Amino acid sequence: MEVWVAALVFLGTYALIATERLHKTVAALLGGLLMIVFGVLDQEAAFEAIDFNVIFLLLGMMVIANVMRKTGVFQWLAIRAVQLARGDPWWILVVLCVITAVASAFLDNVTTVVLIAPITLYVAATLGVSPVPYLIAEILASNIGGTATLIGDPPNILIGSAAGVDFPTFAANMTPPALLAFGSFLLLARFLFGRELSRQEVAVSVADLDASGAIADPRLMRISVLVMLATIAGFLVAAPLGYEPATVALLGATAIFVLTREDPADILADVEWSTLLFFVGLFVVVEGVIHVGIIRAFADGLFELTGGDLTVTSLALMWVSGAASGIVDNIPYTATLIPVVQQLGERGVEVAPLWWSLALGADLGGNATIIGASANVIIASLAARTGHPISFSSYLRYGIPTVVVSLSVASLWIWLVHLR
Amino acid sequence: MSGRHEHPHRFAKRTPVRDIDHYLDIGPTVVQVDAPLVDVARLAISQPRTRLISVVDAEGRLVGVLPVLRVVEELVVRLSPEELMKDIVDLESAGRFGREVGAQVAGDLMSEPVFLRPDSTVADAFRAMHLHRYSGLPVVDDERRVSGYIDLLELALRYLDELPPGVPVDAAAADLQTSVADEPAPDERPAGPGR
Repeated sequence: MEVWVAALVFLGTYALIATERLHKTVAALLGGLLMIVFGVLDQEAAFEAIDFNVIFLLLGMMVIANVMRKTGVFQWLAIRAVQLARGDPWWILVVLCVITAVASAFLDNVTTVVLIAPITLYVAATLGVSPVPYLIAEILASNIGGTATLIGDPPNILIGSAAGVDFPTFAANMTPPALLAFGSFLLLARFLFGRELSRQEVAVSVADLDASGAIADPRLMRISVLVMLATIAGFLVAAPLGYEPATVALLGATAIFVLTREDPADILADVEWSTLLFFVGLFVVVEGVIHVGIIRAFADGLFELTGGDLTVTSLALMWVSGAASGIVDNIPYTATLIPVVQQLGERGVEVAPLWWSLALGADLGGNATIIGASANVIIASLAARTGHPISFSSYLRYGIPTVVVSLSVASLWIWLVHLR
Repeated sequence: MSGRHEHPHRFAKRTPVRDIDHYLDIGPTVVQVDAPLVDVARLAISQPRTRLISVVDAEGRLVGVLPVLRVVEELVVRLSPEELMKDIVDLESAGRFGREVGAQVAGDLMSEPVFLRPDSTVADAFRAMHLHRYSGLPVVDDERRVSGYIDLLELALRYLDELPPGVPVDAAAADLQTSVADEPAPDERPAGPGR
């Protein structure tokens, strides 16, 4: 009976998230509470399932990002980069993609694209062309860039915490395939966007922009950039010193409060509390199906299907995750697959390649459709507001080839490094 | 000066705007939906007291409204975009910047029309301007052609000027706010942008 109740609550929660009949945070909290109300878990077990390393890591990084985005530093970087491109449409696209990808590796992708998009819109207006190719390229670059680090994408944070992988180890295993995927994407972009860009004339007025004018608060910018760099350095040295990533992120957030003397209420008001509570609910829902043995049974089935073959399991995990992430939210997907990987590990399967395959699939797969990741949805909304709507089908022309190429490159990397 | 001061008129919260329109000095600024924004700006500066521009189609029907401040921002975007870029912190501000940076004519920047009818009351006018955060609203006839304009500041000052002697200004303002909150919705029929 308990198994059926847990399965129903789990499926109901995921159906509500997928169909958006309820806000995903409300759906996850409701699902988590129903696991307690129906006796699948007691409150103590439910609360123990919440991974506070994930919650506080996200919270700390949100605080730092919220301060940074108000300083104008990203707009300054984007203007300088566009000026370096000397008004050439192709190089403008390249530098905007590079900045988007690098920023997305350390900040959440939505913040990155919202801050880079305005300079993109300005450049497109100056060129007198549609901003859509640039905006789509930034979506793709953002999701690839977020793959590179432990803090680049929420699935990475979930996987890193569950697997007990520290920041340098994560970067050592994920940054190379992310770089390869990004390089492949740029080559592909030449074909995907080259024709549209070749019709555009070189713009010279971009050179007139005064990058320093984009900086809203120089003091705040210096402090937030320093804290961000120190936090990244902290991530690199935390593990040998015995600290978890969440401690480093909270240290960075606290340093922001101390150094800027900004009212914490103002900064905390911009924290995405709904996202944090979404994670809280998900942890409890997933713990419910783990507790009643559903995940173990699923892992058993998967183990039998693949015969425990590491190569088959790893590559299948990457491509199935890639396909799923284009359609469903990759956060609940990853939260569910994590205990499956752990169960496979208990059956003697080497888990390291599985973690990287899951992360690469979940992150890169988000590029497939316009609803595949939060950054995609945000840019689509922004494009529509500015009179340049991106339709579901028109995006697929760029999304599907990019996912196929980037997952192929990632598969090759995983095979060469971990499976050969 | 208009004859308002020579013929003092006590207008109340329920007075229709048709009865007070001719006592107010500030008139409407009307532009065509396809008017270039630089022309709109020139017209706006020639009538600086009208802070909400009425945008009309070829038949002269109201199809949108355009705050002067948004026209100013659009010009700033052309001259010094970085000044506005630094204020972009979320999707909404990014979207507004995107609209301004790509705008060419009045229709590109205008918002859905909000307006008063001649039989809308003073309280309707205050309520609609408070609700939509506009500092003025056009008055339109049955065919939605612009026939007048109500400016929030001018209306508020006239209202206060004509209070009976001895009524404290704060009490009158509080009374008006209560009245505005209690009033039914003003006559506003948002239409499509008509671009």
